Amino acid sequence: MQSDTDLAARAAKGEAAAFETLVRRHQATVRGLTRRLAKRPVQADDIAQAAFMTAWRKIGSYAGGSFKAWLCQIAYREFLQANRKIKPETEFDESAHIIAFDTSAARMADRIDLDRALGELPESQRVCVVMCVAAGLSHSEAARATGWPIGTVKSHVTRGITALRKHLATENVA
Amino acid sequence: MSDEENYEDLTALFESQDTAFDADPFVQDVMAPIRKTSKWRVPFLFGAAGLGLGAAISQVSAVMTQIPSAPRPTLQMPDAITADRLTDMFAVNPMWALAAGTVVICLGYVALTERA
Repeated sequence: MQSDTDLAARAAKGEAAAFETLVRRHQATVRGLTRRLAKRPVQADDIAQAAFMTAWRKIGSYAGGSFKAWLCQIAYREFLQANRKIKPETEFDESAHIIAFDTSAARMADRIDLDRALGELPESQRVCVVMCVAAGLSHSEAARATGWPIGTVKSHVTRGITALRKHLATENVA
Repeated sequence: MSDEENYEDLTALFESQDTAFDADPFVQDVMAPIRKTSKWRVPFLFGAAGLGLGAAISQVSAVMTQIPSAPRPTLQMPDAITADRLTDMFAVNPMWALAAGTVVICLGYVALTERA
């Protein structure tokens, strides 16, 4: 299997097939990230798509390192850009849980619990938890992507996870 | 690093959700405009560049014969003479105008579509 760096180098030369492999490899992470960040999940795939288009245009500027982190940084910026365009009155989309990740009842219940728990977190904690826990970025990668100090990211992740676990435990008891 | 390892259970939960995404329609949506662009980009560039190069090469011999008889620019009016000389060249053979136009189009196309 070719590494992300090799594929990115080929894509930078205009090879669409190499970029397609990268899209296929990372689409789940980027779509998961945008779906968990976006207040209107129906727009999440549009943001993810815009992120990949931006990545294609800027692939020449990818200077090695984690390609996933580079993509997540682009996706986060696309999310911020899209967020600015959303009017304040359309704050939260109640239909969020309708977009199914999995059809099995148990997993659906898990997803709803997880979505609800994530939705309860303050935005900064949610961003850090989504980046570090869900997308699997390191603290330093998340700090680079968000532009926040690494200590702040660590603190948000720790607090976010504590709150998430507490929320999930409460849901399970109830 | 240990901080980043004590939430593996949650990471696994998130990952199990992400693997359920249907990749094909999304990948097609992303790749359709990319393929459309890249399909024509290289042939267009090479085609236009080849056309321009061919036109330029075909005129080299004609230009070479005119060089010895070309009036030398004087210090007093160098710009006017150069401009006159260029006008004469294009008047003698419009292929030069075609070659110059092709080069300008190529450069413009590269500038418009080049990725950062």
